[in-house]
Amino acid sequence: MKNIWKKDKGFVIFLLAAIAFPFVFSLLGQTSLTEGTNKFWQGQLINFFIMAIFAMSYDLLIGYAGMLSFGHAASFGGGAYTVALLLTYVAPDIVKNYQIFIGSLNITEIVVLLVCFLAAILVSILIGLLFSASAMRVKGPYFAMLTLALATALNLLTRATDFVEWTGADEGMHGVPVPYWINPTQNRLTFYFIALVFLVVTYILMKRIVSSPTGRVIQATRENEDRSRMIGYNPVTYRTLAFVMASVFAGIAGALYSLWTVSATPSMTSGVTTVNALIMTILGGMGTLIGPVLGAGIMQIFSQFFYTWFGARWPLVFGIIFVLIVMFLPYGIVGTWRMHGFKLKEGWQRFWDLLKTKPTAEK
Amino acid sequence: MSHNNKKTLYTVIGVVAVAAIIFGLYSYAGQESFIRTVLSGLTLGSLFFLVAAGLTLIFGLMDVLNFAHGSMFMLGAYIGWQFYTNPTFIFGVLPLLLAFAAGILLVPLFKPKLVRLELSDVWQKRLPKLMYLAALIVGGIALWKFDVIGLADTAMVAAVTTSANPLAELSAQEPLLRFMWRPLLLMVSGALVAVGVSRPGDRTEITAPEPLKKRLILLIVLVILTIVFTLVRENASEAVLLMNGNLRFLLAIITATGFGFLLGALIEITMIRPLYVRSFFIVLMTLGLSYVLRELVQVLWDPLAYQMVRPPLFAQPGRANTIAEWLMNGSSTISIVGVTFPTYRLFVIALGFVMFIFVTVLMTRSRLGMVIRAGVQDPQMVEALGINVKSVFTLVFALGVALAALGGIGAAPFLPVQPGMGDQYQMQGFITVVIGGMGSYVGAFVGAIILGMARAFGDYFALKWQLSPTIAEASTVIIMIVVLLLRPQGLFGKKD
Repeated sequence: MKNIWKKDKGFVIFLLAAIAFPFVFSLLGQTSLTEGTNKFWQGQLINFFIMAIFAMSYDLLIGYAGMLSFGHAASFGGGAYTVALLLTYVAPDIVKNYQIFIGSLNITEIVVLLVCFLAAILVSILIGLLFSASAMRVKGPYFAMLTLALATALNLLTRATDFVEWTGADEGMHGVPVPYWINPTQNRLTFYFIALVFLVVTYILMKRIVSSPTGRVIQATRENEDRSRMIGYNPVTYRTLAFVMASVFAGIAGALYSLWTVSATPSMTSGVTTVNALIMTILGGMGTLIGPVLGAGIMQIFSQFFYTWFGARWPLVFGIIFVLIVMFLPYGIVGTWRMHGFKLKEGWQRFWDLLKTKPTAEK
Repeated sequence: MSHNNKKTLYTVIGVVAVAAIIFGLYSYAGQESFIRTVLSGLTLGSLFFLVAAGLTLIFGLMDVLNFAHGSMFMLGAYIGWQFYTNPTFIFGVLPLLLAFAAGILLVPLFKPKLVRLELSDVWQKRLPKLMYLAALIVGGIALWKFDVIGLADTAMVAAVTTSANPLAELSAQEPLLRFMWRPLLLMVSGALVAVGVSRPGDRTEITAPEPLKKRLILLIVLVILTIVFTLVRENASEAVLLMNGNLRFLLAIITATGFGFLLGALIEITMIRPLYVRSFFIVLMTLGLSYVLRELVQVLWDPLAYQMVRPPLFAQPGRANTIAEWLMNGSSTISIVGVTFPTYRLFVIALGFVMFIFVTVLMTRSRLGMVIRAGVQDPQMVEALGINVKSVFTLVFALGVALAALGGIGAAPFLPVQPGMGDQYQMQGFITVVIGGMGSYVGAFVGAIILGMARAFGDYFALKWQLSPTIAEASTVIIMIVVLLLRPQGLFGKKD
C-alpha cells in the first residue's frame, strides 16, 4: 500500500474520495444513501467512471501507440450492443431454464452477466482484429480515414432497418432487462461500486501495460518506427496489439455503458462518441493515464453546468474550448503541468526560500 | 520493360473486367433500369467528386486531412438555401466576414518589417499568443449583442411556412450607425490575428519580397466590397427576393461557393497555418472545427431538416421530351432514351462534369496549377525555387472548400438540408480519395464515378433483394478495402 502511495498519490486520493463519496454525501446532506440528490450524483460519477475507462483506452491508442483512430466508437458500440442483445434475447431463457448454485446460493444471473461481458470482450477483440487487418497496412491520415470509414459502416449497420426486429434501427434498444442486483435504477450504489472497481482495475492494468516491456516497445514504435524495426521488433505486430488492447477496454466500457443506460443506441457507435473520447483525452493530456480520467471528469462536470448555462447547444461551447486547447494547450492539462510544473515548483521553492532567508538576512 | 508490360497487362485486365461488369449489369437489369441507375450513379458521383476533389488536392499539397470537409459541404447547402429562401442573414453577415478577411490581408504589407523585429525567444513565442488573445477580445467586442440568431430566424420562418411571403419576413437590420463599428473592429481583429500568424521576429520567415501590387489590389477590392455590402445591407435582400427564381438560384450558387472560398481561406490562415509545425494536431483541429460548425448551424437554424424549393427551371410538373422543351417549360422531369429522369439531377451531373473540366484546365493550363502539381511532388523544392508556397496553400485550401460548398448547394434542392448532411458525403469522399489515390484529381473523378455507380447499383440491388439502402451504403467500404489490398496507393496515386 505504501508503495502505491509513493508511486501514485493522486490516484490513491481519488480512489479513497470515490469510495467515501456516497457515505460522506449522505452524512453531510442528511440524505438517504440511495435516494434523491445522492443517487443523482452517484449517477453522474458512474457516467464519469465509464467515460474515463473509454477515454483511457483511447489514450492507449493515440497517446501511447501514436495511432490516430477515428473508429474507436465501433468497439464501444460493439461491446454495448453485444451485452444488450445477449441480455435481451438470450439471458432470460437461460435464467428461466437453468440454475447454477454454489451451496444454496443462486449465482445464475452473475454467471450469465459474466458470460455477456466475456462475449463483449470477444466481440471487441474481433472488431479490433478486423480494423487492424484492413487498416494496419497504412499509416497516418490514411489510417484515420480507414478507421473512420469502417466505424461509419458499422454505425450504418446499427441504423439499418433490416435488423429492426433485433436492434431497433434508429431507435436503438431500450429497456434492456438488466438483472435486479446490478440494475442502476434500483441498486445504484452497487452499480456505483462495480463501475469504480472496473475503473480501478482498468487503470492498474493500463499502468502495467504501458510500463511493461511490450508497452515500451509500443511507445518506441510511436517515436521511431524504423528504429524499433531495426532492433528487431515488428511494428505492425505491436501496433495491432495496442489496437486490440484498446479495443478490448473500449468494449468493456461500452458493455458497462449499456448496462448503465439500460439501452444500446446507434449514437454509441457514431463518430460523436469517438470525438467525445478524443476531447476528453486531449483535454486531460495525451500520453498520460491520469489525463483522460481528468478530462472525462471535467467534461462530465462541465456538461452538467454548461447545460444549465448555455441550454441544449452547450456542445458548441465545448467545441470552441476544444479548438482553443488544440491551438494553445496541445499537451492538455496534465501534459502542460508536467512540462511546466517543475518550473512552478521551483518558483515556489524560491519564494519559500526568500521568506525563510529574510529574517536571517536582517541579522 | 517488363514493368511496362505488367502495367499494360493490368490495365487490359481492368478494362475487360469493367466491360464485363457493365455488360453483366446491363443484361441483368434491362435497358431502362440500367440507364436510370447509371444516371443516378452519375449524380452521386458528381457530388462525390466535388467533395473529394478538394480533399485530395489539400492532402496532396500540404498533407492535411480535412475532417471539416463534410461540414463545409453542409455549410454550403445552408448558405445557398438561405440565400435562395431569404438572404437577410447572408447580407447581414457578409460585411463582417469581408472585413475580417481584409484585416488579415492588411498585414502581409508590413510583414517584412515585422519579421525583422528584434525580439527575444520568449517574446517570439509569447507575442503570437498575445495577439490571438487580443484578436479574440476585439472580435468579441465587435460581435457583442449582434443579433445573429434573429437574422437566421428570418429564413427559418420563410422555409417552414412555405406559403408565407418571404418578403414579409425581412427583419430590419441594425441601423447603419450602430452597425458600422462592427466591421471596423473586426478588421482590427483580423489584423491582430495576421500579426500573430506572421510570427514577428522569426527570421526564418524572411522570404523573397512579395508582389505588393497584387496584394494591394486584392486588399482594396475587399475593402470596397466591405463598404458596399455594409451600405446595401438593408435593401439588397428585398432586391434579391424580387428577382427571377432562376437568377436567384444562380446567385445562390455563386454566393455559397464564394462564401466557401472566403471561409476556407480564413480557416487556413487563422487555424491551420500555426499548426503546420505540429501536423498531428491539424487533424484534431479540423475535427474540432467540424464539431463546432455543426453545433453552430444548430444554434442558428435549430436541429431541423429543411427542404429547399427547387428553382423554377426544374419545378414545373410534367415531362419534357427534349432538352429544348425542358428549358422552355422548366419541367421537373425529362425523358432520356425513354427513361424519365429528374431534370435537376441532370443539372447536378453537368455541374460535376463542368467542375472536373474546370479543375483539369486549372491544373494543366495555368501557372497556379503548375505550382500545385509541383507542390504535390515536392513542396520544399517549390519553396526553394522562390515561390511563396504558403499563399498557394491558402489558395488550394480555399478552392477545395469552395468546391465542397458548391457540392452542398448543388445537393440542397434534392436532399434535406440538415446539420448531419455532410457526414455521409465526407465518408464517401474519403473512400473516393482512397480509391483514386491521394493528390490526384483525375483519381478523385474516377473514384467518384466508381463509387457513385456502386452506390446506385447497390441501392438497386438492395431494393430488388428487399434490403434497406443503408446496407448498400455500408458495403461501399468493401470497395475501399479491396482497392487498398490490391493497390495501397490508390488507382492513380504515386508510389511512396
